[in-house]
Amino acid sequence: MEKLRIALAQIETKLGDLEGNKKKIIDSIFRAKELGAEIVVTPELSTLGFGSGDIYLDKVNENLDALEEIQLTLEETGLTGVIGYVDRDERGFFYNAAAIIVNGKLIGKYHKVQLVNYRLFDEKRYFKPGSKLPVFKTPHGILGVLICEDIWFPEPSRAVTFRGAEVLIVLSASPYDRGKNNLWKDFLRERVRDNILPAVFVNQSGIQDGVTYWGGSMVLSASGKIIKELPLLEETIDVVEIHLEESKRLRRRDIRVREVRREILEELLKAFEDMQQ
Amino acid sequence: MNQDIDIRLEKEELEIFKRIIQKSILTRIKKIGAKGGVVALSGGIDSSLVATLAQEVLGENLTAIIMPEEGISPENDIRDALNLVKSRGIKYKYITINDAVEWFTKMLPSQDLNDFRTRLTIANVKPRIRMIINYMYANYEGKIVLGTSNKTELLLGYGTKFGDMAADIYPIGDLYKTQVWQLAEYIGIPTEIIRKKPSAGLWKGQTDEEELGHTYYEIDRVLYALVELELSVRETSELLGIDVESVEDIYRRIIHSEHKRKPPTITRLSKMCLDKDWRYPVERY
Repeated sequence: MEKLRIALAQIETKLGDLEGNKKKIIDSIFRAKELGAEIVVTPELSTLGFGSGDIYLDKVNENLDALEEIQLTLEETGLTGVIGYVDRDERGFFYNAAAIIVNGKLIGKYHKVQLVNYRLFDEKRYFKPGSKLPVFKTPHGILGVLICEDIWFPEPSRAVTFRGAEVLIVLSASPYDRGKNNLWKDFLRERVRDNILPAVFVNQSGIQDGVTYWGGSMVLSASGKIIKELPLLEETIDVVEIHLEESKRLRRRDIRVREVRREILEELLKAFEDMQQ
Repeated sequence: MNQDIDIRLEKEELEIFKRIIQKSILTRIKKIGAKGGVVALSGGIDSSLVATLAQEVLGENLTAIIMPEEGISPENDIRDALNLVKSRGIKYKYITINDAVEWFTKMLPSQDLNDFRTRLTIANVKPRIRMIINYMYANYEGKIVLGTSNKTELLLGYGTKFGDMAADIYPIGDLYKTQVWQLAEYIGIPTEIIRKKPSAGLWKGQTDEEELGHTYYEIDRVLYALVELELSVRETSELLGIDVESVEDIYRRIIHSEHKRKPPTITRLSKMCLDKDWRYPVERY
């Protein structure tokens, strides 16, 4: 039985509180270790906190230093980490990113592809969108890592599925408004059902500047069943065991991944281009 | 019942809203290291709701300030406010504002309340007197001021700038009046407070609905259509079967009161104008 024990660190980050947030992440890694996890996942932008405004521009260096310290803790504990942070490339552009760290080594980075700029969101003021959808091979399985809004679109999860992801990991900082928690369940279920693979959603908790990050992190099995749901609004951590073979078993008869046709994907791209005209 | 007007809260939502409101109060107080909160308690539903929610999480660290204008503020309001603080064990102060109102009024050239301009001016002086008292105690006790404005009032601009609108946070500022009623009922606010006709207490016998010209039920449905559903005046009128003029009146109130919902506009002269280019959260570390 292929199993994956994954810790959902539903932490309450504070806006720009690098020291405090780093400590919470490090404490979560130790706690995840105690709970027997192999992988620990933190929310989106967990080093600086989601909604930090121009603080992203001021504190990117310190955030990268914090990530190095987090790497040391992951090395010490032997856990694999998927950590939300602000990345910066050699040209000086910033990304809403996730670091994938195995045995203390940064084996890969993911840059959020669907930045949000509507309603209260202002991500394009700070971040450049990513355009790559890689998967990450770890000793515990192949991870498809996405960030928040990426899951509201069908394409990113589809791409990592084609690349062989065995589990979808979604880092999030989702602000609460009426019905939001149920809407997220719908989106996650749709992606899981379309791609027939399990999903782990880790959401920030707590209230910052009147915006509530509702927590409610959850794990869905490849069949779309919610197998774990963390409490709303509370800072907490929990470990869930995911059975990776379920997806393979379901895919024996469920053809919706293997029978995707190239001609149809090409047609989709053409249709998209028509829409852009 | 129109299905699009999804203004009524489910029980599950009421519980979530309650927890979020309470946590938001605590978060701000903790962030700035304040010792608690003060709230002006009129005995009306908005302030009774804020005081009750806040007291559940702040306990002794909440001070309710009851500031009636004796002879003008309805006696049942004063009685309801006192009953609430006593039954809930809310720490409170009772201060009448009559002397202060008189002191300010004497400065005006006319004290004739039949003159609309005088009446409106004095009506706005009263909440500003209460604001000073609120902030005086907040400063003295190292607390923050909890505002009691709701979304309906904020959208209509039905409040006095730097008066009752002056606060550090608006815990119920995203709840329509009819949702305030629901939440108040959910947390067990006494029915005499919920049932009573809402009044800003600006002059004797004043009621909000009479002054606004519509019931809160109607107003909220119109606001919901205009704001949450982002419909036009005409579409709102058609959807709700309410005449265009009434919707137009409410729409005009929204656009004319934008200034009340924003800090004063800064004239931009640099690349880093503080209300336009500079974007930092308040709860910043």
